[in-house]
Amino acid sequence: MTTKLVPQAAAMTRRALMVGTSAIAMLLMGGQSFAADISGDLVLLDWAAGSEQDMIKALEDGFMKAYPNVHFKEINLTTQGDARGAIRAALQSGEKADLFVNTWPAFRKELADAGMLRDLGPLWDSAKIGDNLSDSWKALGSSDGKVYGVTYTFGDRSAMFYKTATMQKAGIDKQPTTWDEFVGNFKKLSAAGVTPIGIGAKVWSHTEWFESIYEHLNGVQKASDLAAHKIPWTDDSVKNTLKKWAELLKAGCCGTAEQMLAMDWNDAADSVLVAGNHGYQIIGMWVNNIAQTTDGLKEGVDYSIQQFPAMGAGHDNVSSVDSKEFSELTSGSNQAAADAFLAWVTTADAANIVAKAGLASPSNKVDSSLYGPVIKAATDAVAKGDVQFVLGDLLPGDLVDEYRVQLQKFLQDPSDANIDAVTAAIEAKAKTFD
Amino acid sequence: MSQVALTSRGPDERESSQVRGGGRELTPLRRWIADAPAAYLLLLPVLALFAFAVVYPLIQTIILSFWDIKGLGKPKFYGFGNFVTLAQDANFRQAVVTTLTWTTCTTALSVGMGWAMALLCSMAPRQTLIPRVLIFAAFGVSEAVTGYVWIGIFRGDAGGLLNSLLGALGLGGLAHPWLGDAQTATWCLIAAYSWAQTGLPLLVIYAATQAISRNVIEAAYVDGASPLAIMRYIIAPLSMPGVRVALFINLLGSLRAFDTIYVLTGGGPVRSTETIGFFMYRESFTQFKLGYGAAATLILLAAVLIVSIPAIIQRTRTTT
Repeated sequence: MTTKLVPQAAAMTRRALMVGTSAIAMLLMGGQSFAADISGDLVLLDWAAGSEQDMIKALEDGFMKAYPNVHFKEINLTTQGDARGAIRAALQSGEKADLFVNTWPAFRKELADAGMLRDLGPLWDSAKIGDNLSDSWKALGSSDGKVYGVTYTFGDRSAMFYKTATMQKAGIDKQPTTWDEFVGNFKKLSAAGVTPIGIGAKVWSHTEWFESIYEHLNGVQKASDLAAHKIPWTDDSVKNTLKKWAELLKAGCCGTAEQMLAMDWNDAADSVLVAGNHGYQIIGMWVNNIAQTTDGLKEGVDYSIQQFPAMGAGHDNVSSVDSKEFSELTSGSNQAAADAFLAWVTTADAANIVAKAGLASPSNKVDSSLYGPVIKAATDAVAKGDVQFVLGDLLPGDLVDEYRVQLQKFLQDPSDANIDAVTAAIEAKAKTFD
Repeated sequence: MSQVALTSRGPDERESSQVRGGGRELTPLRRWIADAPAAYLLLLPVLALFAFAVVYPLIQTIILSFWDIKGLGKPKFYGFGNFVTLAQDANFRQAVVTTLTWTTCTTALSVGMGWAMALLCSMAPRQTLIPRVLIFAAFGVSEAVTGYVWIGIFRGDAGGLLNSLLGALGLGGLAHPWLGDAQTATWCLIAAYSWAQTGLPLLVIYAATQAISRNVIEAAYVDGASPLAIMRYIIAPLSMPGVRVALFINLLGSLRAFDTIYVLTGGGPVRSTETIGFFMYRESFTQFKLGYGAAATLILLAAVLIVSIPAIIQRTRTTT
C-alpha cells in the first residue's frame, strides 16, 4: 500500500520530522551527558575463571567504551568446586563491591534475606530493562517477589555434549531421540571402546543426570515442588528416578563408581570432547565456550549437543536451565554506575559480546546469527519447552551438599535398599530447613 | 627470658642489685619487682603479637563455637549445641578416625623414611650431598604443586603414571581409579603427603648424626665393629634426639595438613578422606556453618595441645 502526502500534510510531516530529529538529537546528547555523569570505580565481585572471565572482561571493556568515565575494578575469587563458601567469606570479611555475579537462586535469597542485595524493581522499570528481557527472565532473577538479578547468560542443562568423531567411530549416524534408542546405543559405544556416559561425580556434576531424568519422568512442577520441599525426598517420584538411573548404571553407562568419583566435571568434559573416551556428558553451556577457546574445537563440527532423550512419561518437552546474573550489592558505593551497567548489559552491544563468546544471551536484542549451531540448538530447546532451574542450585544451605554426597553414595550402591537410605538421608537434612 | 635476664648477671652485679637503695639488702620480692620490668619490657612486643595473632582469634573461636550460624543468616546462641551435634555427627566421627590413621601413618612413614635415609647418608656424607638436597627440596615445594603432580600419578585412566606403569609391567589388571575408591584414596594421600614431608626429618636427623663424636665411631672401628653394627649400635641410638624433634614437627604438621587433601580428593570420595582439619574447612568455609566449624577447630586444637604440651615440657626439661 502506498500513501500520497498532500502539501500541508507534507509540511506537517517535515515539522514533525524536524521535531522528532531534534528530540532524538537531544536524547542522544542527553544520553551522552548521562554517560558522562556516570563515573568512578565500579567494583565487581566474581568467581569466573579462564575463558568465562575473558568474556566478563569483554563486557567490562564494552561498558567502559560506552561510559568512558567509569573504571572497572574486579575482585576475582579463586575457588574450586562450589564458589559460595568463598563468596560468603569475602562478603563477611568486609569486601565491598557494587556488582556481583551469581548463579544460585537459593544463594540470592540468602543474600537478600541478609540485606546484602538491592531491589532492582525500580531500575527494571525506569531503565526499561523489560524491553530487552522478557518477564520470564525477571521472574527467574526474583526472590520473594523482588527482582535482584539481571540475567546475562543462560544454559540448557538437559543437553548432552558429544564428540562427532566418537560417534562416527561407534557407527552412530543419527543421535538418539528416545530413551530406548539412547540405551540401545551403549552397545555400539562400548564395542568401540568408549564408555557411553562421562559422569564427573567427584563434586557435583553427577546430579545433572538425576535432575534431567527426574524432570522427564515427573515434569517441571514436581521438580519445583521437590526443590521447595513441598514433597518429601522419600517420595516415589525420587525413588523411581533413582531406579531409572540405576537401569542406566546396570546397562554399563558410566564405568565403575570409583571411576565416576575420581572425575570432576572438567575431567569428564575433556574425556568426552578431547580424548573421546566417553560418549556423552550433561554439563552447562560454559563448556561450549571452553571447547572453542581452550580446546580449539569447532562448534557443530568437532562436537555438538543432543537434547535429553524422550522418556515417554508425558514430560519430554522439558529442559533444565541454569543462568548467570549480575546483582547489586548494598555495600557498593557507586550505585549510579552499577545501575547503568545493569541496563547496558541487556542491550544489543552486551548481548552480542556474550554470543560471540559462545554463550547464550537472554536479551531479545541479541543478534542470533552470531550463535553457533550448539548455542542455537540450546536456545531453541529452552525457548520451546518447559524449563526448570537446576535443582541443586535451588537447595538452601548445606542441603545441596547432602544431596550431592547422598547421590554419590547412590552411585556406589544403586540397590533399592540403598535408594531408601539415600532418600531418607536427604529428607532428614531437608527437614532441618523447614 | 626473665631467667636469662637474671642469670646473665655476674655475682658482683647480683650483689649490687641486692643492696640497691642506699646499701639496704633487698628482700626476694623487692628484688623480683626491681628486676621484672626489664624482662617484661623485652617480652612485651612478643606478648603483644601473641595476644593479637593467637589469643584474640582463639577467644573469638571459642565464642563462635557457642553460636548457631547458617550461611549469612542471623546467628543464634546455641550453648554447647555444636559440640553435642559434633559428637552425634557420623561424618565428624569418620573424620576423627581418618585423622588418627592419617596422622599416625604419615608421621611414621615420613620420619621412618627420613631416619633411614639419614642413617645411610651419614655413612657417606659427601657422596649423598645431591640426593639430600633434592629430597629436602621436595619439602620446600608447595603442597598444592606436589598435589597436582600426584594427581598425574594416581589418575584413574590409562594416562595416570601409576596405571601406565602397571600396564607396562604386564599388570594392567591392577590399574585402578585410585582416588575414586574410598579404600585406596586415603592411602594414596598418605603416600603423597609422606613423600613431601620426608625432607625435614632427613635434614634434622642427619644433623643429629653429624653431632655424634667421631671418636666413638673410630673406637668402634678399632674394636672391629662392622659398618652395619656401627649404624645399628652407635649411630641409630645416638640419632634419637633428632628423631624425637622430627616426630614432633611432622606430627603437628600432619594434624594440620590440608592442601594435599584439598587438591587430590577434596575430602572425597563421599567424605572418606576428610581429616578434622578438612572437616573444619568444609563446615566453616564451604557450608559457612561458622559456629559448627569453630567447635571442630577447638577439638583439633585440643588434639594439637595434647600432642605438643608433653613434647614441649620434655624438650624444656632436656634443655634446662
